[in-house]
Amino acid sequence: MVHLSSVLLKQYHGGYVVLRLALAGHNQANRPFYRIVAAFNKRARDGKYIEQLGTYDPLPNIYNEKLVSFNYDRIKYWYGCGAHPTKSVAKLLGLAGFFPLHPMTVTGAERHRAQAAQMDASIIKDEEEEQG
Amino acid sequence: MFQTLCGRSIRAAQLCARRRAVVVESIRGRKSRNDPVAKSKEGRIKMPPPVDPVEMVVLKERFTEYTLIMTALRLEFREELLRKKYEAEMGSLAAERVRKEADEHRALMDWNRAENQRMLQLRMQRIQKEKEEAEGKELEAALELEQKRQEFIRIKEEEVLQLQEEAKHFITLENLDQRIEEALDNPKNYNFAIDKGGRVIKQTVLK
Repeated sequence: MVHLSSVLLKQYHGGYVVLRLALAGHNQANRPFYRIVAAFNKRARDGKYIEQLGTYDPLPNIYNEKLVSFNYDRIKYWYGCGAHPTKSVAKLLGLAGFFPLHPMTVTGAERHRAQAAQMDASIIKDEEEEQG
Repeated sequence: MFQTLCGRSIRAAQLCARRRAVVVESIRGRKSRNDPVAKSKEGRIKMPPPVDPVEMVVLKERFTEYTLIMTALRLEFREELLRKKYEAEMGSLAAERVRKEADEHRALMDWNRAENQRMLQLRMQRIQKEKEEAEGKELEAALELEQKRQEFIRIKEEEVLQLQEEAKHFITLENLDQRIEEALDNPKNYNFAIDKGGRVIKQTVLK
């Protein structure tokens, strides 16, 4: 069975399939954990999904790594069937190398670099003023 | 349609339930749509964040490139999907698989038929045996019944003969006087004594 976003499915569900991050496990406060999930657009974020395609842990572990997992085969399937990835999922996949790098990742990095350069310049200027 | 209970609505529900004026945590969206604007925010005009035109041009170009690559990828994945589907249904392996499945099905059906035949034979034998046993029992029952009937007849005949024998000694109208005379002439003494040892003493004081 091919999960096509066909006219019938659209009529019934009134939406399309998205690949997004769903918050998992509300049993602990201040400890988020996301599942990368294929779900219908109109469903609740944490509600019933069609299939789980991976995980994302936003808090870094003891080796300062943020762990992500993907099921590339199924992601290919859903993307081929016409699923829309959300911004965060697209960014993650871009960083993973499966999709091209998201423009906002690059732009964000450039902005951050510019800000850091400006901060350094201002610090250097302050130091020069103090010395002189 | 039905929104899940998030922090906001839980908090709101709690406030309504317990009627506290002070909100302990800071939640977004405390005010409803029709609530008046605060005095400190009277003349406020919300402006969108500033846009750098150079950056915007670069970004637009990057986005067009990105969407191009993404649509290309999508079409490629779709093609791969369809090819796999086609391969699964029409490929060289698929026909073999279908043939093997058909063979297996046929073999299983034959085995099933053979099993059914075997069970049929066993069943027939069992039924035959049961029938024979039933017949044997029926015969036996008939014989027993016949025997019982014969026994009954014999007993009844014996009783009839015994009665006939006793009839000879009955008292009738003709014998009446004679028998009375005889009885009066021979008085019988039915008294007797018996002790714990079982010794019977027929001799009594009465004559």
